[in-house]
Amino acid sequence: MENTYALKATGINKFFHQPTEFQVLKDISFEAKKGEFLSLVGKSGSGKSTLLYVLSTMDTDYEGTLSINDESLTGKGQNELAAFRNANIGFVFQFHYLLPEFTTLDNVMLPALKLGRKSKEEIRQSALDKLELLEIKDQAHKSANKLSGGQQQRVAIARALINDPAIIMGDEPTGNLDSKNTDIVFDIFRQLAKYRGQTIIAVTHDDDFAAKSDRVLELSDGYMVA
Amino acid sequence: MTRSTNTKVAFSHLTSRVKQSIVAVLSVTFGISMYIFMNGFMTGVNDIQADLAFSSLAHIRVYNDLPEDRSDLISDDQMPSQLVNLRHPKVIQYSEGINNVDREISILGQFDGITEITSQVNMNVFFRNGSTRVSGVLNGVNAAKEDRLFGMAASMKSGNWLDLDHRSDGIILGVGLAKRLSLGMDDNVFLKTGDGITRNFKIIGLLETSLNSIDNSKAYVRINSARQLVSENQSYATDIQINLTDFENAEAMAAQMRQYTDFKVESWNEANGQLEAGNELRNYLALAVSLTILLVAGFGIYNIMNMTVNEKIREIAILKAMGFEGWDIVEIFLTQSLIIGLMGGLIGILIGGGVSTIVNNVPFNIASLETLPMAFRKSDYLSAFVFGLLTTFIAGYLPARKASLIDPVEIIRG
Ligand SMILES: Nc1ncnc2c1ncn2[C@@H]1O[C@H](COP(=O)(O)OP(=O)(O)O)[C@@H](O)[C@H]1O
Ligand SMILES: [Mg+2]
Repeated sequence: MENTYALKATGINKFFHQPTEFQVLKDISFEAKKGEFLSLVGKSGSGKSTLLYVLSTMDTDYEGTLSINDESLTGKGQNELAAFRNANIGFVFQFHYLLPEFTTLDNVMLPALKLGRKSKEEIRQSALDKLELLEIKDQAHKSANKLSGGQQQRVAIARALINDPAIIMGDEPTGNLDSKNTDIVFDIFRQLAKYRGQTIIAVTHDDDFAAKSDRVLELSDGYMVA
Repeated sequence: MTRSTNTKVAFSHLTSRVKQSIVAVLSVTFGISMYIFMNGFMTGVNDIQADLAFSSLAHIRVYNDLPEDRSDLISDDQMPSQLVNLRHPKVIQYSEGINNVDREISILGQFDGITEITSQVNMNVFFRNGSTRVSGVLNGVNAAKEDRLFGMAASMKSGNWLDLDHRSDGIILGVGLAKRLSLGMDDNVFLKTGDGITRNFKIIGLLETSLNSIDNSKAYVRINSARQLVSENQSYATDIQINLTDFENAEAMAAQMRQYTDFKVESWNEANGQLEAGNELRNYLALAVSLTILLVAGFGIYNIMNMTVNEKIREIAILKAMGFEGWDIVEIFLTQSLIIGLMGGLIGILIGGGVSTIVNNVPFNIASLETLPMAFRKSDYLSAFVFGLLTTFIAGYLPARKASLIDPVEIIRG
């Protein structure tokens, strides 16, 4: 069945032109099934982040094709892609970017308010639920810039979950977390994949984390070697 | 819902950079208050100039304009088969003045927007006291109407202007003229017309308008007395003077009147080009200065919004990564500049009004002025506000657009 694929990348090539002509991604093709939990590993500088930006539709400067949920995204306009991301992709950045002046709760609510499919009260409730899931609900009304790095990262994960996106991508989402919180996040991802059919693609340097996921993709020098 | 979210982000930017926000508001405040002050002051000066000018100049004057160009008398109305009898043009007799003034006044008086219309018999005369002889202008007037046109009664130094209507031998002299003749109240003055007719008048008043052209050379008598001096009947006048509710309409009104009379109809703008030129120049000056100030204020906002964009660039990237579209980003920054513009505009209006009031109370004792002139026109305040908002809008839009074009990957990659 074709539509069991949540994400399909075909022949992705990407070049950087500055400072010198340099091919970061070399003919990368792979598919991610619905509800699959993928780890993306590789040495530093192998192109993991770059690939993730392409897959997340933020970076449109690549060769090849990308489709998510059977919708071809290659060649679409920025605004259309923004709307698509908002509804379908949750992204956790390597450096947990939150809006510093907003409270934890407001940060989590933001993508849902943008999507505008639920009432503000419903959004608030579901944001509190996500915070509870990540065991950080007690910080809900604190300003985001008053949280520790690990706390901020968990808030960023809660935010990525708020619109129940088809795909959740994380660039070292547990990079800042201790082993207890890493386990919490891993379990959450596992549950979301298993019970909600959400697809997870997480860059990680944590071998245990990778080993426990459904499948490991490995990048080396811009090639996908596994 | 996105709108209120964008507004919320906009507010967080403003409140997280309070100092810069205040500076931005102040630059708008400055621009708008200066705009209001400059325009109020220039309009005030213009109004005073007009008041002064219109104390001797009517909005429209109608008189008999003798043809000056006598070189081509046959081109008008000439038919091919017509014979023209041409004598030496200097011999041709033209009638001077307006011979049926009541008829003209009843026709012209029917136009809407006329506040007063009156006739005058004006002539150049010599005034004499003993051996002192001074040339000047004698105006034969209807005192009541003349007062409604030019406010003569208020400019009387001594005597009562309206007495002129009851005293056929009474004359009112400009103070300067009286001084040159060494004459005072109740003295007699001899008067000689161009045709050599002389008559004795009794001084029943002295006029001080602060306009030298009047005070030093003019005298007023009852219009019928003046008619007698030129041996004309009751329906003769040299000038018809007309005032309108709005002097700005004078030109258009004069053009219409020309279709109903053969006499020369002259609006104040034609009669006194300097006055209009002065008004126009001051208006341009006010416009140039206030637009420059607004431009400077605009640059202030532009700079501050640019700084905000640079400072918040990671937030913008994150918003875009989460699916905020270019327009959302534009809206976030435009909201900020509009809030700055609104606040600066409102404060600017208050300060502009305050500064104008203060300046309006600064003593200034020249001519008939007591304080510096100032106009308080609603339209100035409104256009200052509109211009201010427009400036902030444009000054805010450029950085906002720049922000909306940010590539989130570029920023997030670090
Ligand atoms: N904006 C850029 N311009 C040029 N080269 C870049 C840029 N961003 C990343 N690179 C290079 O691309 C390669 C892959 O980077 P990245 O995807 O961040 O690797 P990883 O995330 O696997 O550590 C590295 O060699 C990096 O130096
Ligand atoms: Mg990386």
